[in-house]
Amino acid sequence: MGKTADILPGTLDMLILKAVSLQPLHGYGILLRIQQISGGALHIPQGSLYPALYRLDDQRLIGAQWGQSENNRRAKYYTLTAAGRRRLKQETAGWNRLASAIATALAAAPDEA
Amino acid sequence: MESPGLRDRHGPRRRSRRGLSVLKRLRSRLAALARRRRFEEDLAEEVSFHMEEHARELVRSGMSAHEAARRARLEFGGVDNVKDDCREARGLRLFDEIGQDLRHALRVLRRTPGFTATGLATLALCLGANLAIFALVDSVLLRPLPFPAPDRLVRVFNSYPKAGVADDGCSVTNYYERRGEIAGFTGLAAYRHGAAIVGEAGTTDRVEVTRVTAEFFSTLGAGPVRGRAFTEEEMTHQTDGVAVLTHGYWREQLGGDPNVVGRTLKVDGLERRVVGVLPPEFRFLSSRSRIYLPWASNVEDREPRRRHWGSSSQMIARLRPSASLAQAQSQLDAHNAAREADAAEARMMAEVGFRTLVVPLHADHVAALRSTLLLVQGGALLLLLIGAVNLVNLFLIRASSRAKELAVRQAIGASRWRLARAVLVETLLLTSGGALLGLAVGAGGTRLLAVLGADRLPLGSQIAFDARAGLVAVCGAIVLGIAIGAPIAWQSLRTAALHALHSESRSSTASRAAQRTRHGFLVAQVAVAFVLLSGAGLLGQSLRQAMAVSPGFRPESVMSGHLFLPWKSYPQAAARLAFMERVLEALRRRPGVLTAGMVTNVPLSGDTNKSAARVKGHTLRREESPHGIYSYSVAGDAFETLGVSLIEGRFLAADDSRRPERVCVVDEDFARYYWPGRSALGQRLFQGGQVRSDAEAFTVVGVVAAVKQAGLTDDARQGAVYYPYRHWSGNSLFLVARTSQPPDRLGKTLQDVVRQVDPELPLSDLRSMETRVADSLLARRSPAVLAGLFSAVAVQLTAVGIYGVLSYAVAQRRREIGLRMALGARPQQVRAQFVWLALRLLAAGIALGLGGAWLTGRAMQVVLFEVPPLHLPTLAGTAVTIMLVSLFACLLPAHRAAQVSPMETLATD
Repeated sequence: MGKTADILPGTLDMLILKAVSLQPLHGYGILLRIQQISGGALHIPQGSLYPALYRLDDQRLIGAQWGQSENNRRAKYYTLTAAGRRRLKQETAGWNRLASAIATALAAAPDEA
Repeated sequence: MESPGLRDRHGPRRRSRRGLSVLKRLRSRLAALARRRRFEEDLAEEVSFHMEEHARELVRSGMSAHEAARRARLEFGGVDNVKDDCREARGLRLFDEIGQDLRHALRVLRRTPGFTATGLATLALCLGANLAIFALVDSVLLRPLPFPAPDRLVRVFNSYPKAGVADDGCSVTNYYERRGEIAGFTGLAAYRHGAAIVGEAGTTDRVEVTRVTAEFFSTLGAGPVRGRAFTEEEMTHQTDGVAVLTHGYWREQLGGDPNVVGRTLKVDGLERRVVGVLPPEFRFLSSRSRIYLPWASNVEDREPRRRHWGSSSQMIARLRPSASLAQAQSQLDAHNAAREADAAEARMMAEVGFRTLVVPLHADHVAALRSTLLLVQGGALLLLLIGAVNLVNLFLIRASSRAKELAVRQAIGASRWRLARAVLVETLLLTSGGALLGLAVGAGGTRLLAVLGADRLPLGSQIAFDARAGLVAVCGAIVLGIAIGAPIAWQSLRTAALHALHSESRSSTASRAAQRTRHGFLVAQVAVAFVLLSGAGLLGQSLRQAMAVSPGFRPESVMSGHLFLPWKSYPQAAARLAFMERVLEALRRRPGVLTAGMVTNVPLSGDTNKSAARVKGHTLRREESPHGIYSYSVAGDAFETLGVSLIEGRFLAADDSRRPERVCVVDEDFARYYWPGRSALGQRLFQGGQVRSDAEAFTVVGVVAAVKQAGLTDDARQGAVYYPYRHWSGNSLFLVARTSQPPDRLGKTLQDVVRQVDPELPLSDLRSMETRVADSLLARRSPAVLAGLFSAVAVQLTAVGIYGVLSYAVAQRRREIGLRMALGARPQQVRAQFVWLALRLLAAGIALGLGGAWLTGRAMQVVLFEVPPLHLPTLAGTAVTIMLVSLFACLLPAHRAAQVSPMETLATD
């Protein structure tokens, strides 16, 4: 693994939504998927994943069903709900705006300040 | 690294989402709570699955199984913390903590059974009293009448205020003239309560009936469910052979016969066909009528000249949805003005202030009760206040002994909110238990209210102790729990905070402040108890005053019963007179009967109808209006039997009904009004409002004492005239007999004698005259009894409060007392110190209570009879009672203080 970054507060939810938007995943799968899609750059403390999942479930942004894992073990799979899909879209747009604004600000030359 | 930008992105959206789906989230919380075990299993499985997967992956990368499992656990972090966070994310942590608080509270309450029992008993009594009274207030004042749009129902009545007749119902003419003429009414109906004899000879029953016009049921919006209501054609004496039954009568008397419509029933000797049956829930005001009959009249009854011939009937109407009460009133005024313009008695009607009034039906029906009921409810609330204050004080005392525990809990990280919540959970637990017991007490209380005569109040027979009382109990428990808990939580937090600072704070300012609070509450409790007790005293005093009023006759040893002679069997006055003479003759021969008589109305019967009489030679002065007077007719020895004393001349004798001479007896009020300073004997008067020829005049042959007809506390000196039965013959009669035995034993004799003469005639309303006097004071006695009960409990509670506060003060100062004893103080001095403390608190409470008592006394003036708001003997009695009980309560703690041994106290610490 190369250099990893701690995730920004509030962004874990967004990443979880993104991960389950691709396919239904169990908790451990979500963790792996986020590492995978971020190119291994994001480090998520394992313990903080589950409270986030339960919170999102409580907010009806994701749904959960029990299913069979690839090893034939009972596992809880999370899927994105319609509300979750809307939220993901909003958050992504908002994040992009913020990121480009910050990037612009940080790229400013000394005489523009 | 928390950027404000990130926060902004989440803030507002979260809030709005929260607002939208609060219900949904609450449902999910409750669902999660219900499936709690499943939730925990799932959570555990999910976590272990996670760690297994992780370990499996580590094994794949070459780690030993044992090492992999260890790493997986390590990287996951504290499992219990994660689980806790998950529970919180699902909103379950609050429930967990409250569960802990509840278990803790239960443990604490169980550990102090004396305290818990005192608290529960206090709450059960105070809440129970309130719930019972609430059930009464609710049934009478709050619950709408059981008809559609009940607030549109009104009562319409004629009033002749200057004649002393405030409410005379309506006449037959009124009804036929007003029908369809008042634009503000969609329906108009008249009714008259009465009684009828139903059944065949030998098995007859006297049944209460109501005669109603065709659109009576449609005006109310509720009518027969089987068969039909009455029709317009059935409103004459020739065509009224029909009846509508109440559900109760149909079930009990006719066995719920499904083919009842069309069956015949013998009512007052006439065959009537049943045309309809009312639903079980049909209830018209306080009516106990079991059969409804047509309100029949003849064409001549409806003539304009009979417009003011009161018919003992009442009129109700339904307001048009768009019409207001004021509009209907002005339409009626205009209607009356148009009718009276050409009427012969127009001037007289103007003189007596005639007007027809429209009032809301429900409010009018219970108007006389309103202030008394609210007063009793106020008393009950005061009792609850005393109980609550008492509990706060007991809790405060206990809280001080638990201050250390709280300080420790706070020190190990419990938040202030958590500590306050623990207190609230405990008080709420106690008040909930108290409310549960209170419901039982309240249910019993409603039975007590029935014994006290609540079922004889308007709408009082319909007291329902049901879900509404339950709801009030739940709300009461919550409000009380919070109200009691709040000061305790506040005080506990303060004490705990100070305890955290000082390791030992026996004499800290905190405990002094706590003591001030306790003493303040005690003073308030004494003050409220004083107010309640003095209020009860005023009611009792008022009752005594009322009982001391002479009714104008001698009620002891007189039995009375009501008779109704049906027109069919007794069409002529002569036949009725013959019947009466046979009954009286037979009665006089019975053992134990001293004298017997008949009279058309007995004092305090509840019937206060008045009529007009005109005195010969009396011209109305300016501003003077014709007087409504009580008119009676008598047969037999009615005066002697009732014990009405003769002032002048003679009583009417049996002979007077046989002789053609027209004579009468007037009462002292009448004589004083018309012939002040002169003898009334030989004066002449006429029945009705007109002066007629001398041949129709009645000569006064006697003057008797004034009898209280309307009630002992009724001061209107209305005047009364007694005629021989022959000259004023009604078919509603009271049989009265004076006996040498206890009067109630005579009831059966009266009934036997009447049956012997006419087997079809039942005698009803059998009551001794003493009972009638007592019953007439019901509206004064029952509130006084209730207030007495409330104040007895209140004084008890105050005693408990004083005992608690002083006991605590003694316990807290044991060391100081021991020290003083060691230095030579005598036990009496120590005892006196605590008695003195109690006296100071009492004095403050009583001083405050005096002010409150004065205010309450003023507010109670409406219901008091000849008692001033500041009644010194009552106040003095109240103060002495409270003093004695309280000093008694402080004797034991004071004695205990004097008992403290200096050695023991010095040794224990």
